[in-house]
Amino acid sequence: MLQATSLCKTVTSGERTLSILQNLSISVVAGESVAILGKSGAGKSTLLGLLAGLDIPSEGELMMFGHALGRLDEDGRAGLRAGRVGFVFQNFQLLPTLSAIENVLLPLELSPRSGELKTAQYWLERVGLGERTSHLPKQLSGGEQQRVAIARAFVTDPELVFADEPTGNLDPETGAQVIDLLFSLNQEAGTTLILVTHDQALARRCSRCLRLENGYLSEFQPEADVSSGESA
Amino acid sequence: MTANNLRLAGRSLRRDLRAADVRALFAALVLAVAASTMIAFFIDRIERGLERQASQLLGGDLVIEQRDPFAPDVRDALEGAGFTLSDQVDLVSMIRKGERFQPASLKAVDDVYPHYGVSQVERGDGVESLASGPPAGEAWADPRLANLIDLALGDEIKVGDTTLTVTGFIEREADQSAGFGNFNPRLMVHVDDLEATGLIQEGSRVEFEILAAGPPQALDAVQPLLNELRRDGVEVRDIRADRPQLGNALERAESYLGIAGLAAVLLAGVAVAMSTRRYVERHLDTAALLRCFGASQQQLGIIFGLQLIGLALVASLLGALLGLVGQAILLALLANFLPMTLPPPGIMPLLLGVFTAIAVLVGFAGPTLLRIQRVSALKVLRRELDPLPPSAWLVVVFAALVFGGLLWLYSGSAVLSLALLAGGGVMLVLLWALSALLLNALLRLVQGLKGHGEWQQALRLGGRQLARRRQAGLGQLLAFSVTFFAMAMMVLVRGDLLTTWQAQLPENTPNYFALNIQPPERDPFEETIAPHVAAQSTLYPMVRGRITRINDKPPQQAVDPEARGDNALRRELNLTWQAELPEGNEVVAGEWFDVDAGEEVPSIGWMAELDAVEQMPPVPVSMEDGLANRLGLGLGDTLTFSVGGRDIKTRLTSLRSLNWDSFNPNFYVIFPPGVLETFGHSFITAFYLPEDEQNLTRELVERFPGVTLLNVDAILGQVRDVLTQVTRAIELILALVLLAGVSVLYAALTASRPVRAHESGLLRVFGAGNRMISRIQGAEYALLGVASGLMGAALAELATGVLYIYWLDLPPRLHGMLWLVLPLGGALLIGVIGHWLSRGLRRQAPAASLGLLGEA
Repeated sequence: MLQATSLCKTVTSGERTLSILQNLSISVVAGESVAILGKSGAGKSTLLGLLAGLDIPSEGELMMFGHALGRLDEDGRAGLRAGRVGFVFQNFQLLPTLSAIENVLLPLELSPRSGELKTAQYWLERVGLGERTSHLPKQLSGGEQQRVAIARAFVTDPELVFADEPTGNLDPETGAQVIDLLFSLNQEAGTTLILVTHDQALARRCSRCLRLENGYLSEFQPEADVSSGESA
Repeated sequence: MTANNLRLAGRSLRRDLRAADVRALFAALVLAVAASTMIAFFIDRIERGLERQASQLLGGDLVIEQRDPFAPDVRDALEGAGFTLSDQVDLVSMIRKGERFQPASLKAVDDVYPHYGVSQVERGDGVESLASGPPAGEAWADPRLANLIDLALGDEIKVGDTTLTVTGFIEREADQSAGFGNFNPRLMVHVDDLEATGLIQEGSRVEFEILAAGPPQALDAVQPLLNELRRDGVEVRDIRADRPQLGNALERAESYLGIAGLAAVLLAGVAVAMSTRRYVERHLDTAALLRCFGASQQQLGIIFGLQLIGLALVASLLGALLGLVGQAILLALLANFLPMTLPPPGIMPLLLGVFTAIAVLVGFAGPTLLRIQRVSALKVLRRELDPLPPSAWLVVVFAALVFGGLLWLYSGSAVLSLALLAGGGVMLVLLWALSALLLNALLRLVQGLKGHGEWQQALRLGGRQLARRRQAGLGQLLAFSVTFFAMAMMVLVRGDLLTTWQAQLPENTPNYFALNIQPPERDPFEETIAPHVAAQSTLYPMVRGRITRINDKPPQQAVDPEARGDNALRRELNLTWQAELPEGNEVVAGEWFDVDAGEEVPSIGWMAELDAVEQMPPVPVSMEDGLANRLGLGLGDTLTFSVGGRDIKTRLTSLRSLNWDSFNPNFYVIFPPGVLETFGHSFITAFYLPEDEQNLTRELVERFPGVTLLNVDAILGQVRDVLTQVTRAIELILALVLLAGVSVLYAALTASRPVRAHESGLLRVFGAGNRMISRIQGAEYALLGVASGLMGAALAELATGVLYIYWLDLPPRLHGMLWLVLPLGGALLIGVIGHWLSRGLRRQAPAASLGLLGEA
């Protein structure tokens, strides 16, 4: 499904070269749920961007769905994502002028298929917002907005879903509800989930946990009772 | 894929219209198109209508006139070029009915008459519109003639040696232009009857005319022939050279509309530019998201390009529709004044409108939109990752090219457009520098404010906010300055136009002319009217004289070939003498007579021998500058007039400009006193007779039967009507420009709303209340308003000065109030719109405001 080998990411600012990710390798198989845990500023989002093909690594190779992303141009990588990859973001990324259902429709409209509207309606019902399809984002609470985003992530029936701090902007109770929803949909659809978070409790719900620290990635077993010390 | 992109673009456009910035963009575009099409439609239709009316008033597209019958080769040449010809003969003759005689101005027409329009004729069944003249054996008379010799329909009259039956009274001739040239009442007859009258003989004063109607190409084709005819002293009039004077009012109004149209387009362009920024920034988020979902660059380009074009098309169609309605309203307002039926609206203005919308949008938004294509999908994770903005040069050059193209399209002159564009560019750079200086000065002033009052604090904080967003603030300042400038200019020019028009026709403008007042009647006449009239012009003596030599050569040889057919050389002129410069006249070259000096003016006295006149040294005279220009004469040139059979040699010592629209007697040539008194002369005067004194005319006709009274109430009323209606039209356009101005303010403030929301959200987090925030924002708006108001005032003064001198032909003046009204009004207007736009924010929790960045 996803295979990263010796990924490096360096950024230059002025004369200084800053190494964010060093020699990372990771392999994700279909149906897995992987948590990438790390402190604020550890480079979690950078890694997610690389894995999703939104950014290109300075070194190393990345295979997605059997294609080497490095050999594709920007449009090629976009084409690979179309319909097969879903995203859930920390700040929801709903378009403010679009209603809930229009936001869910958006990825479907890029590569049209029949019954789009029904599909979108179905997914909104699945996330419990079947009655609020015509509401604009600003008329929805944070938790509701993230649920719309989750519906949008699953609406194309993707093989792979990336989630970037999906509870980062929500209170613990709402966050827990959203996470329950995310995992139950993921399980039902048999989707591969790659989740970036600083929340150990959230990480524990994934089948595998990886820690990103000082640019290196290491696998670990989350402790049952650690929750403090990781907050941003 | 393309069909899907089209669908997606359509959907996004529909959804997008919910966003405030798109609505602002849309409104700006609709306004730009509405204003430009409305004015283009209006001017296009009026101009085509005027051309037709010009031909009608002239009697044809080309009229040539001479004392002898035309040679066949002239007729052949004209017909060969594609003209249809109509013959007409004019002469003055005595008409007799029984024992009553009356001189009448005879007009003999053929079966082709008239080429254009219809005559209003009463033939016993009410007034009919007829596109013909009387048939042979019949005559149509002016109702004045009927009164003078008691004519009734069916009466027989003697014209020369023949007898004709009066079968109609002419209320209005198809080709009659309003003028004072002909005071004898009209009698229209058929040319076939002319020979039988025996009136056309060697030496009789007859004018033969050919009225030709044909396409513009025909007119081009015969130009060499016409020039040759002019050189031979034949009078040639065509619709290009001799457009009937519509008065300065309408011409100035057209200029005003033209300027207003450009101002509206410019304003809308600024609004589009201001809204585009925000539009593009917001769409960067959408684009990044779409990239994330797998859209290709090309797909993004197509979707957003289509969306933009869709926006332009919808806006231009709506705008064109509004423009169409607007021009109909404009024409309805002017309907009473426009006697002609206008041609239907053409397609050109519509295309122009659509082109304007697309050009404005592409010109101002295109380069910025290129950024959207280059957006990285990673932006969804890292907000700060905006693609590089397009080079400022690219944006400016592109917008300038587009605006230059529009200018060219509207003005029709490449040189003018280039000059305006270059001037505009220089102005923009200067403005930018000036804005920076002004803003700095204001900010320093505000920061230096001592005291801890609420307002001082608000001003300091507001100033600081403005200073922090210096570049954005400068951009807004510039946009607001241009907006206030355009709005102020249109208001100023309108005000000054109206004042000038009102001054031109004051309350007591003469509505009667009295001619042929004989010297012994002069005092009794003045005594009779004095108690009744509200105003009276000077009583001018009038002597008729013909120019016989110019600089000691026959006139035909002395002037340029083009001037040889000029009326002033072919007819007798009305001459007068005056010691003082008549009211409304202005000496533009040389000096007015110095009567007291005595030496310069040779006096022959009342009793002198007439022969003495011919021995005199040249008499100083003053000529109207328009005539002098036409004849190519200047100070020092000599003219010999034949007056009463004697030659008087004169020298031009002054040129005068005068106001032909003033409804006062005007003279081409004025002599000093002491020269013309010996010749037979009469007096002319104009006076204003109030409505309730109209009985005086009866008394005047009875006591002074020889005096001709001419009532110009109808003409005066028509001119007043024109002014009122043109004023209304101008007010409509002004409203449109002001609306465009408000749309700029709205667009600019909408664009800056999220940043302000973020700032006020932060301030609230720190504990500022709504009152405090309103005050700080108010202070910021006030600073912006005052600065842009001042800049706008300076620009408006400068521009109106230039406009007045070079375009509208009005004297420039300073507008003191402007410097007070514009800064204060500007601050108020910006404050009100800004306050209204942020009304929702004041009720929102800070968290929501902080999250608003990035929303519409």
